[in-house]
Amino acid sequence: MVERLTAGRAVARPSARRAARPAPSGPAPLLLRGLGVLAQRVALLAALLVAVFAAMEFLPGDAARASLGRGASAEAVAARSAELGLDQPLWIRFLRWMAGLPAGDLGVTSRGEPVAEVLGRHFPNTLLLGGLAFAVTVAAALALAGAAALRPSSALDRAISGTSTIVAALPEFVVASVLVLVLALWADLLPAVTVTAAGGGGPASAAMLVLPVLSLAVPQIGWNTRIVRAALADECTAPHVEAAVLDGLPPRRVLLRHVLPGALPAIAAGAATSVGMLLGGAVVVETIFNYPGVGSVLAGAVRDRDTPLVAGVVVATSVAVLAVLLAADLVRGWASVRRS
Amino acid sequence: MELTRRRILATGGGLGAALLLSACGSGPRRAAAGATPPAGPPRPGGTLRVGAVGKASAVTRDPHGVQVNESDYLILALVHDALTVPGDRPNVAPRLAARWESDDLKRWRFTIAEGATFHDGTPVTGADVAWSLRRLRATPAGATRLPGVEAGGIRADGRDAVTLTSAYPNSEVPLLLRLTTFVLKEDTKDVARAPGTGPFRLESFRNGSARLVRNDSWHGGEVPLDAIEVRMFESPQAMANAMLTGQIDLASNVGAVAARTAEGRDGVQVIRRPDDMAMPIVMRTADGPFADERVRLALRLAVDREAMVRQVLSGYGAVANDVLGTGDPAYAKDIPQRARDLAQAERLLGQAGLDLSQTYELFTTEDIPGLAESATLFATQVREAGLNIKVVKQDPSVFWEKTWLKAPLYTTYWGTNDSVVFFAGKTLSSDAAQNEAGWKDPAFDAAYRKAVGAPDGARRADALRELQRLEHERSGYLLWGMADGVDLAAAGVGGLPRLPGYGRVQLERAWLSA
Repeated sequence: MVERLTAGRAVARPSARRAARPAPSGPAPLLLRGLGVLAQRVALLAALLVAVFAAMEFLPGDAARASLGRGASAEAVAARSAELGLDQPLWIRFLRWMAGLPAGDLGVTSRGEPVAEVLGRHFPNTLLLGGLAFAVTVAAALALAGAAALRPSSALDRAISGTSTIVAALPEFVVASVLVLVLALWADLLPAVTVTAAGGGGPASAAMLVLPVLSLAVPQIGWNTRIVRAALADECTAPHVEAAVLDGLPPRRVLLRHVLPGALPAIAAGAATSVGMLLGGAVVVETIFNYPGVGSVLAGAVRDRDTPLVAGVVVATSVAVLAVLLAADLVRGWASVRRS
Repeated sequence: MELTRRRILATGGGLGAALLLSACGSGPRRAAAGATPPAGPPRPGGTLRVGAVGKASAVTRDPHGVQVNESDYLILALVHDALTVPGDRPNVAPRLAARWESDDLKRWRFTIAEGATFHDGTPVTGADVAWSLRRLRATPAGATRLPGVEAGGIRADGRDAVTLTSAYPNSEVPLLLRLTTFVLKEDTKDVARAPGTGPFRLESFRNGSARLVRNDSWHGGEVPLDAIEVRMFESPQAMANAMLTGQIDLASNVGAVAARTAEGRDGVQVIRRPDDMAMPIVMRTADGPFADERVRLALRLAVDREAMVRQVLSGYGAVANDVLGTGDPAYAKDIPQRARDLAQAERLLGQAGLDLSQTYELFTTEDIPGLAESATLFATQVREAGLNIKVVKQDPSVFWEKTWLKAPLYTTYWGTNDSVVFFAGKTLSSDAAQNEAGWKDPAFDAAYRKAVGAPDGARRADALRELQRLEHERSGYLLWGMADGVDLAAAGVGGLPRLPGYGRVQLERAWLSA
């Protein structure tokens, strides 16, 4: 994708400007701009981590008490606090934790396990769940909105638009509960919960992924269908599309070749916002389906006031979201270059 | 035992309650435990898939660590043997310790079961046991796990025995050894993978779930199952769904809400283990508004116990009588059941001169299902006696730090309910480390000392009765009811545990039907 993007960009740039800049290669300005955006977002992540540390600090209670039993003495709690470094000021703990970050050291949980190990066991499962849900979302939203756009104002268009509005407003846990009730408990078609294979870390069978993925994807499909449909409608009024229609090209061809490319930036932006929603929804959906992902870890870590673990989860999910946003930017850049 | 007590309650509770129950139309389902008999006959072998609740962030593999997760405790209890385990009658049964004796109730000698070996074949020695107990004693909560027994008082006594010396005469030492006295080899470094002595060997462990296979040379007798797969569930609801769709065979301690949805479904056994969980309301006796004995009695008379059991526990429980340790064979069933008497409660509040224009706070937390609900319902009930109570829900970390052992009025919960003396020593005697109500009663202390200082016999029985009478009369506890432990099992599973509390992990006799 990057190759196509840079190729397009090089063509679009006037050669005079290219000569004026002693850049080693053509795509440098774009690269610089990309790096700038990336730096901005990394700074945002750092600010987010400050907020996480501060929020955990302001929550009542601490990890020392939470990680010990209810019969633990005051001395034992104090000793544990010292061991976890909780007797240090907040900013020292934060800087120490941040210092390890570039080397991939995410610190140690309040139960003495490296945070990276906990994430290594759970985050890939969440990525799998979120990734599949994202793929299903994009595919379904494009198909539904495309079908609606082919026959504007038809019964099908109205049905899809109306349903997608309702579905977009459904919380994940409602979708999950209904799906479990109907497809697992009544019809007995799919497993109700995820159990991990003995000795393995992920779901024991692929069928176990179906309900969690659907629960996550359904509300996002509703949301994205509306966005894609609107973007397609906008693009349909463009002169080149009207020209294509007047040329008598078949509607499907007009949609795929002339409408869709122009609508792509808006579609990519919409899909990118869904990623945050998918990862957020995963916390709920993973609990309902007993899915061995990072959502349950996060919930437990907040409860236990386990700041390094919470921060670790935030870093992992943020990096995933940043990567998708970057990809969306690239798609938009590529699409706008192609148009101009 | 349970039936007789229920019958007493039914007659004592009055016709009014029964009418109310039927009038509501959704009375508690009183199906006896195990109404669906498991399909027999047992067959040797097979793999039992068991679900247990646990949090991914709290997984612990240290046998002497803090086991927040039921799944962790279940796995540890199947791989390792404690010295003693919960029993029916008496409430202490031998496990790794085959027998025990003491002349003065201070120096106890526990003899290791004959033929007890670790999973790698080496025999269990007194040195291994002593090392393990000392390791347990050295944990942050060690002093409350082995009360009265210092590390120096734990010694190997020959190859096959260990002696424990208590600072005071204590007939309950064998009972105190029931829970986490898991035995490892002396000087074990990697406790997570250390061989145990229990009925099952750990084959694999990942993310809180484990596969365990039978230990063919277990000292405790024949184990029917080939293997047990323990699967960790984040929530009881997910676990119940897994059970109902056949993904697991047993949902351990799944709770009343799940049981209600499963009740009446074909092929599902609902197993009720009475006296599983106590959720008493603690009224501080040392100072504050509830220091006056009459105020405490007024609250005990103002609560509607039947309604609490019906609404908070969905009927999966029984009314209690303000005495903790309801599952004890020595539980005083003859103390008259306290019933609701609003007029008397109002009179007592008036006599005590409590400021009724004020609102009093009742602190609670959502640690276990029903706890916060019990506080809310209690507050509305007590309002009818003219006392305004506001429920304050706290985050667990705040609750255990700031409220527990300190606040004038709060909810608490306890899972070991088959021993009256356990509570007397742990939460009621003046010098108890976890004296939740700040209660100091010389007469009670004397009765407690008499009870633990006496070997079995009439003297001990008298002391136990006196102890319970005083607790019923004036302690800081309002124990309105006892929650059942509720398990769900597939129709073909038998030999399942029926004991409350940690008795639920005893799966070594479980079998699958042919």
